[in-house]
Amino acid sequence: MASFRLTQVASHLNGTKAPRTQIGVQSPDDIIIVQALRTPITRARKGGFKDTTSEYLLGTILRGLLERTHIDPTLVDDICVGNVCPPGGGATTARMAALYAGFPNTTSVQTVNRQCSSGLQAVVHIAHAIQAGMIDVGIGAGVESMTQFYGPQHKLIPDTISDEVMEAPQVADCIIPMGLTSENVSAEFCIPRSKQDAFAALSHQRAARAQKLGYFNEEIYPVRTKIADKDGKETEIIVDRDDGVRPEATAESLGKLRAAFSADGATTAGNASQVSDGAAAVLLMKRSRAKELGLPIQGKFVASAVAGVPPRIMGVGPAYAVPAVLKKTGLTVAQLDIIELNEAFASQAVYCVETLGLDINKVNPKGGAIAFGHPLGCTGARQISTLLTELKRQDKRVGCTTMCIGGGFGMAAIFESEH
Amino acid sequence: MFPCKYRTAGFKGYAVKFSPFTDRLLASAASANFGLIGNGRLSILATTTTNTNNSRTQSNTNNSPLTILPQQHYDTQDGLFDLSWNELHENQLISASGDGSIQLWDITLKTHPVAKWKEHKREVMSVEWNYTAKTAFLSSSWDGSVKLWNPVHAQGSVQTFSEHTGCVYTAAWSPRHQDQFASCGEDKSIRLWSTNAPQGRSIASFGGHTDQVVSLDWNKYSPDMFVTSSTDRTIKIWDTRNLRGSVTMFGPFEFPVRRVKFCPFSPHFIATAGYDMSASVWDVRNGSVTFVHDAHTEFVFGIDWSYFHPGQIASCGWDEQIHVFNAPLPQ
Repeated sequence: MASFRLTQVASHLNGTKAPRTQIGVQSPDDIIIVQALRTPITRARKGGFKDTTSEYLLGTILRGLLERTHIDPTLVDDICVGNVCPPGGGATTARMAALYAGFPNTTSVQTVNRQCSSGLQAVVHIAHAIQAGMIDVGIGAGVESMTQFYGPQHKLIPDTISDEVMEAPQVADCIIPMGLTSENVSAEFCIPRSKQDAFAALSHQRAARAQKLGYFNEEIYPVRTKIADKDGKETEIIVDRDDGVRPEATAESLGKLRAAFSADGATTAGNASQVSDGAAAVLLMKRSRAKELGLPIQGKFVASAVAGVPPRIMGVGPAYAVPAVLKKTGLTVAQLDIIELNEAFASQAVYCVETLGLDINKVNPKGGAIAFGHPLGCTGARQISTLLTELKRQDKRVGCTTMCIGGGFGMAAIFESEH
Repeated sequence: MFPCKYRTAGFKGYAVKFSPFTDRLLASAASANFGLIGNGRLSILATTTTNTNNSRTQSNTNNSPLTILPQQHYDTQDGLFDLSWNELHENQLISASGDGSIQLWDITLKTHPVAKWKEHKREVMSVEWNYTAKTAFLSSSWDGSVKLWNPVHAQGSVQTFSEHTGCVYTAAWSPRHQDQFASCGEDKSIRLWSTNAPQGRSIASFGGHTDQVVSLDWNKYSPDMFVTSSTDRTIKIWDTRNLRGSVTMFGPFEFPVRRVKFCPFSPHFIATAGYDMSASVWDVRNGSVTFVHDAHTEFVFGIDWSYFHPGQIASCGWDEQIHVFNAPLPQ
């Protein structure tokens, strides 16, 4: 019948356009990850990198990425580095690190600061630049030496802030110490201390087990560096493992720690992320380019999303960012095989796991920042290396990285393993 | 070599197919009023070459100007949406009609078909003669079924395969397994079948695209590979050995591809005809478009590769034009 045939032709022209990036589908224009690599993470001021500077850490991981992927450094158009604390946003030291690592001066360098998500935002900036055609090949990286640039003697917030600005709603919330935002989340959402300590102990147990079984071997690039003893005598060492992990930690032992941020609070040094040093880097390009260059593909960048939340409870960020990225991709929580949820604090991690209805067995199977640390700018890039290697090890496909962000945001990204 | 064209005046082209027996013949299935209502016309066309001496020769080479001349045409009650040449008899071909019937024609006869089968309850969208076993052909219909036929089987279809919901746009034979074929449809699914399977159940069925799947064709050299095009504006390359694994996708583009055909001379190239009014050749290894023929001024619905001249393509569309042109097939 004529009307049916007409409707059929019209339906062809009105069909829903397929999404450009799909799980299980390979497109020549996909943004793929050749490799995601990280340094070990060590305790700030005390661990293996306490006498290592951030440009050396970053330069070493960039060098490691070149070494492992065998890519010609002249092909890399841009390197975006996430970091939070260093002076000048780390722009000059990042450039120095790239030149040290062997990149020619024709490889550009930029830095980005979206607080705890900086490493992820750096990777996403590079992915978008490739998608937009601004660059062909790029590296998204993250580095933080909290030994060098974090602490009471370092200023992240200026001494003088405009009174008028401070009086605007929520502005004063922006300078609430992170630990107090954790207390806000604990109190407002009634997350008992016992749950937080149990979660923290789980992080340590999982990390310890992963270390013992060698699950971190593929993602870690060992770093040769120098360390000084208390007399100032320097020795050369190789740092090849995360030194913050406490295999003996239990919910009981953590329960004995005093609250660190408020007198009757729930947040302790034991159920909060550690202050740490580390760096990570991710090499990205289009699938067609990787094929041309004969490079292997570790995974694919699918999508990313960022969500703003009240600064005083910034920890809830992932509970908003994850649904936002799932909506973009048409995926459901159940379709995520592994979730790397940054453990800024056990309070917010537990809140997010429960609110999102995540299967705890899929969350941080190799432990998280409570066990091995959260070098601020590094974490977002580090999570990608941890995620992709674990997806391969478990023979799974779809993963999500997410974190809460100081100032009141959440960020999340979806990756697909192509092992 | 282009412009080499022919106008099926008053009838909008839906399908064009080269004869498998001679490079001198091609046929087109076309319909009045854009196929919405009215008659159909099956046109038998002869191709000749004019060489520099201006005398007609019986075969054409890639570099000689080609002329398309009408040899014969047959009009049908309802529109025609597809055709397929008989692989056993050089003078015979079948057509798929909007009233659910399939006609078998002998081009040495002037008017009526030699056989007519009316079983499908709705428009027959595609027909394809089995080019390996050669004795049977398939039809797919808007009634949701695919039927297997053998012309010597007087009672009608040999078998009916009904699993799709909605229009089945294409059914295509596997180049390796004589009993196997694939179908695709409005229900967004792709199904693999065997004529030997018990109770006519499909061997495999999978969600293919996020919208209707309108065309499907097999790679003639890598017989585990087939290509589909969809109204979700993409083309997808599939591997039958790994149906739920990774699939290669090109697109999404602005307009859907209406018909897709693998090259008979190379495993690497497909020809596409689409709603963007172009006929193109793609390299499936990297998704790059290696040739675009954009001389049509309406939707291009039919496309076919010559079996005798590598890279020669015929296209037809709603502009009533049949074009024959050459596309390079780079290594």
